[in-house]
Amino acid sequence: MKLSGWDALAARQPALFALVMLGLSLVINLILQPNMFARETLNSNMRVFLPIILLAVGQAIVILGGGIDISVGAIASNVNTVLATRIGLEGSPEAIWGFVFLSLGIGLLAGAINGFFIAYLRLQPIITTYATSFLYAGLALFILPNPGGGIPASMAALYRNSTPFNLPLAFFVILIILLIWLYLSSTRYGKFLYAVGGKAEAAYETAVPVTRVQFSTYVISGLMAAFSGIALTMLSGSGNADIGGPMTLNSITAVVIGGNALSGGVGGVTGPVMGAITLGIIQNIISFADIDTWWETFVKAAIIVMALAAPGIVNLFRRRRT
Amino acid sequence: MAESLSVRNIVKHYGGVVALSDGNLDVQAREVVALIGANGSGKSTMSKVINGVAVLDGGQLLLDGNPVHFPSPQTAKNAGIATVFQELSLIPQMTVAENIWLTREPLNALGQVDRKTVNARTEELLALFKGTFKTDLHSDVPVAALPPDEKQIIEILKAISFDPWLVILDEATASLDSRQVQRLFDLVTQWKEQGKAIIFVSHRMEEIFRIADKYSVLRNGRTVGAGNIKDINEKQLVKLMIEKESVLGFLRGEARSDENVEKEIALEAENLTTEYLQGVSFKAHKGELLGIGGLRGQGQRQLLHSLFGDLPYSGTVKLFGQEVHFKNPREAMRKGFALVPGDRAKEGLLYIRSILDNLLLPSWRRYGLPLKVDKAKKNAAQTGSSLNLKMAGLEEPVSSLSGGNAQKVVIGKWLMREPQVLLLDDPTKGVDVGTKAEFYALLNRLSEEGKTILFYSSADEELIGLCDRVLVLHDARIRIELAGKTLTRGNLIAASLGASNGGPE
Repeated sequence: MKLSGWDALAARQPALFALVMLGLSLVINLILQPNMFARETLNSNMRVFLPIILLAVGQAIVILGGGIDISVGAIASNVNTVLATRIGLEGSPEAIWGFVFLSLGIGLLAGAINGFFIAYLRLQPIITTYATSFLYAGLALFILPNPGGGIPASMAALYRNSTPFNLPLAFFVILIILLIWLYLSSTRYGKFLYAVGGKAEAAYETAVPVTRVQFSTYVISGLMAAFSGIALTMLSGSGNADIGGPMTLNSITAVVIGGNALSGGVGGVTGPVMGAITLGIIQNIISFADIDTWWETFVKAAIIVMALAAPGIVNLFRRRRT
Repeated sequence: MAESLSVRNIVKHYGGVVALSDGNLDVQAREVVALIGANGSGKSTMSKVINGVAVLDGGQLLLDGNPVHFPSPQTAKNAGIATVFQELSLIPQMTVAENIWLTREPLNALGQVDRKTVNARTEELLALFKGTFKTDLHSDVPVAALPPDEKQIIEILKAISFDPWLVILDEATASLDSRQVQRLFDLVTQWKEQGKAIIFVSHRMEEIFRIADKYSVLRNGRTVGAGNIKDINEKQLVKLMIEKESVLGFLRGEARSDENVEKEIALEAENLTTEYLQGVSFKAHKGELLGIGGLRGQGQRQLLHSLFGDLPYSGTVKLFGQEVHFKNPREAMRKGFALVPGDRAKEGLLYIRSILDNLLLPSWRRYGLPLKVDKAKKNAAQTGSSLNLKMAGLEEPVSSLSGGNAQKVVIGKWLMREPQVLLLDDPTKGVDVGTKAEFYALLNRLSEEGKTILFYSSADEELIGLCDRVLVLHDARIRIELAGKTLTRGNLIAASLGASNGGPE
């Protein structure tokens, strides 16, 4: 088999498609909202995008390792309800720190549960995390049946209004994530991740610790979901058990736009981060262009269907030609 | 470095199937041991037990005389055992360098993979096969982009990259060209001098005699002979691989071979070529039971599946003189073709559906709209009883049946369509002895009824007992056509191995 030019390009630069999509959507957004690069506008956009970016990063790791995590939104909801009910509007700084750490623990635990079922008991990732998503979402509803609760205004303001060096806080978070990824992907763990996602059986025969790598991806994803839940809470300032649910599909869409193969082993984290921003911008465009909101779902769904169908369509044409 | 590895009385089951019942092997540093055996004799299982991919169910591994246990590939690797896998253990999306050094990447102080060192060492390894590559092979090319022979070379380089003391070459030469094989053998000679031991698993007699110092023969999961290669010749080796004539309860009709000549040609293929097959031509007469032989995976499956319209091919296929080119199995079915695939659980049956559903699946069209269910059931029941299908009822799922009875359902579903050409891919695999005898009778009856049958079997005695003519496939080509007096077990096995001369008469 010889790779055609396109395939070779896609293999070397999986994030290229994401970059093009991002550029395109930025241009359209800029036309509709000329002041979008003003500090305030940029910050108000980026702080809304950040939770989905965090989810997408975790999802990207899981998908790279050959799995999928349908429970990320539910974990984020869970963290959101815990923070909003436990800290309260008058919470002390000690309480804030304590519960933020508890949240991270919740994310790790939820991810470990997913990972245990999938890596050690060898259950189907999509079914397992679909099932556990009800567990986590149900728990969130139990903690906070109706939207409410809250966090101190200062905590929310820290997230909403911090603009160090006149740049949105989200930029720095993204920078840290990308630096960590850059490091991680150049370590042995990074190679293992690609190997397991690429062909788990061959990786096993090469003495890669397949089970542990698979397990770790879900733990990372749970942790990222917890960070996302924290960001969501600081953004909204209150709790809502349904806040994360719809974000799951977005996280997968972001990874797909980011150029990662849903079958695993191809892509990275940079692409999905751009994918998540693109999704946010598409949302912006739809609200500015005064289009019915159902278009938003339609566009996202169309992107996923296209991404899934593209390899099949390419193959169909190749078969026709021969 | 270790000096010797001994495998003693190894037993390995896969479910109910015994892959190895008494496997033995001794290998010393500075020697090449050829592991030889026919289909399903347990060669691959033997290498998987040694390299920790399969955990043994009984017996012992001795490293320098001390018992060792390899519960995972990692432990075997730590003991200095490397494997070139037949199915290749490469990750297609990763680059050549990443694949070779996976799990052993040189790291810098920060724990990052040192890409410069990796690439430099990879280029060093690639230099071992320099000049034999068809493409511009470099360390940063993704493996998916390489042709099969270069993938195989990467697999070999990966195995030797950590300087093991024992290298298992499992069919490592199958996709290499002669120049690459020569280079590999030069390297093997060097490795021997460095004190390495090599287990060489191959189907090619010529290569075995060229490179091996010792041999070890497996037959039906048992080691039946071992010794120095210079004390034995090709004929004797083949004899060791053959079982003593098993008593089979079937006999074909007498002197049918002469009649066939006058019969009209039913199926004719000329220069049939697929991604794998390299131009196969043959003629089959009406009512002929034409055997297809050879080791497993030499193109038999591709041949049968492409005739059935399941694989794209080039070349001409004629049915009673008329050219046909099926694009899908449905077109083949309409012309009276039927295929009994090699993997009945995956390709032959809907396992969780009922026997009735399975039998009627290809024939529903004939029962009209609305379906004449009663008539269909009656016909299915007739087919079932004519095949002596042992079942609790037609509504039972196929998964409740034994292997032999499940295979009867596969054959039965096609017989309900009155096929003209039957393509059988190892139909007696995993079938009990009693049912086998029934199959043999059925095949004879069908061919007497004038049906043309292409019959691939991995059991050589079936081909000899049932067929008048056998085409032996080797390396995706027809190696030889055996008929009449030349159709002997020895010739069959010798041709399967691509041996230069015939085996014992």
